[in-house]
Amino acid sequence: MELILIFFSAAIVNNFVLAYFLGICPFIGVSGKISSAFSMGLATTFVMVITSIVTWLIYHLILVPNGLEFLQYVSFILVIASLVQFVEMFIKKVSQPLYRALGIFLPLITTNCAILGLALFIVLKEYTFIQGIVYGVGAGAGFTLAITIMAGIREELDLADVPKPFKGAPITLLVAGILALAFMGFAGLISV
Amino acid sequence: MKTKLTLSKEYIKGLWENNPVFKQVLGMCPALAVTVSALNGIAMALATTFVLVFSSLIISTFRKLIPSQVRIAAYILIIATFVTLVDLIMKAQFPSLSKELGPYIPLIVVNCLILGRQEAFSSKNTVFRSVVDALGMGTGFLIALFVLGGIREILGSRTILGLQVLPDFYEPWLIMILPAGAFLTLGFLMGFLNTYTERKKRLEREAILKKHIKPISDTPINTVEA
Amino acid sequence: MKLLVHMLATLTIIGILSGGLLSEVSKWAKPKIALHRKAETEKAIFLVQPDAKSQKKIETVDFEIYRVFDENNDPIGYALPYEGNGFQGNIRLMVGVKNDLKEIVGLQVLEQTETPGLGTKVTEEPFTNQFVKLVAEPNVGWVKGAPPKKTNEVQTITGATISSKAIVDIVNGGLQKLRDVKNSGVEL
Repeated sequence: MELILIFFSAAIVNNFVLAYFLGICPFIGVSGKISSAFSMGLATTFVMVITSIVTWLIYHLILVPNGLEFLQYVSFILVIASLVQFVEMFIKKVSQPLYRALGIFLPLITTNCAILGLALFIVLKEYTFIQGIVYGVGAGAGFTLAITIMAGIREELDLADVPKPFKGAPITLLVAGILALAFMGFAGLISV
Repeated sequence: MKTKLTLSKEYIKGLWENNPVFKQVLGMCPALAVTVSALNGIAMALATTFVLVFSSLIISTFRKLIPSQVRIAAYILIIATFVTLVDLIMKAQFPSLSKELGPYIPLIVVNCLILGRQEAFSSKNTVFRSVVDALGMGTGFLIALFVLGGIREILGSRTILGLQVLPDFYEPWLIMILPAGAFLTLGFLMGFLNTYTERKKRLEREAILKKHIKPISDTPINTVEA
Repeated sequence: MKLLVHMLATLTIIGILSGGLLSEVSKWAKPKIALHRKAETEKAIFLVQPDAKSQKKIETVDFEIYRVFDENNDPIGYALPYEGNGFQGNIRLMVGVKNDLKEIVGLQVLEQTETPGLGTKVTEEPFTNQFVKLVAEPNVGWVKGAPPKKTNEVQTITGATISSKAIVDIVNGGLQKLRDVKNSGVEL
């Protein structure tokens, strides 16, 4: 039950993009088309899940026993950067179609604050190993949901007569604002 | 860099022309997340500037010693070190501010603005020039966050920097301090700034046209959009 | 080969310098951070137990709880930090109760992520003052839209019913835990 709560809390109620503002760069940059937005979401979710596993292990098995908590940020970001590289090589070897679909998005993920944010939140919320993984899956699902909805709206927006100065980033932000308002309706859905 | 700019221009370009938030759309996460008040925006921008300036200093000093294959890893390591430094100092000296900014201080590590400046500027330019560039970008970031935080604070809680500026009968717009308000404020702000710059550009173009095309008769001619 | 050595050497040197610098700074910062945290807790304890002159952490149980004493060093009650789910995220609060756990002395919300302007009203005095001298047995109840009639009830905030109920639930949960521990014979 608690795991389901964590999942929905991360995916919908406290959506990483719309409530915590994590992963805004790809959210604005790669939300032009539904297909690429969905691929980006999947790639991010994939990296998020692995990140939550690896950073949890590093924090609780290496940093805490040795009193090295202050190396948290340095080690997390290094792990994420090498993880992304590794995942990229792995996918390239294993599945060419998957690589063609996700490949170009992977390098972008290193500087996606949602990944580091996830690792930090798992430490901050003192989640157990399993809870951390579920949180990672939820956060990834929430990111995929938000970026795909956004892409769907933007595909329609292409046909709309948006004032020239508002084209691009400004109108995307305005739409994101309205989406954030809509997602507020989910608050209170699962608590108490 | 195609042409070398003078140092003052190197600084000024970050303020407006290449403003990190409004023009380059970089560093959006902190720009949106912490700007519920002007003070938070200032604190965040100062912390970011500190990291940016010192990373630029170190990286431009040792730019020739870092092999290009591992440069990104090296940059990230250096940036993360300075971020941890800021985080520890803030927790020790300004506990309440550090609590308010919460996890967004460590997230400076992944602020694309910082890594972007190292990759695009510090790794190719002299130490002094890199620091000036970093200061300019930092100031631009400060301006953006202060404006954003100021607008949201005035409309959302009637105050600016904690001082009440709007009368009591004004009902605060709660939406401004909610996440949605951040998106909407920045969206409108960027849109209006674009409107302003485009209008300015058009007027300049028309002025040039008028100067070069002498009217043949007294009847004014209609200037043509280029 | 030479390149590989160069690459590894660069990263290792940066790593060592960074680790060394950070461990020094963290040595300086750690006691200060601990001090701030202690001062913050202490401030909250005396806010929920205004008559208290000193406090001491109870070490015999596995959760955080403080015993508070008056000027004669007589124990007058407890200050208990406790947390639970709010409207959007966690709420952490501190509640002060008398020795017999039958009456609440004060309440302070320590951390919350409720909706600004609505849910955040649970941190403000009109709401928290309702808990002063509130009867806590058998538990704390709530009423909506009208002043409470019973001595163990508080009125929820209009527009923030869920946040208000969450506070009541957390208080009840904390007190229940305290009662259970006391009934099991552990000295508090």
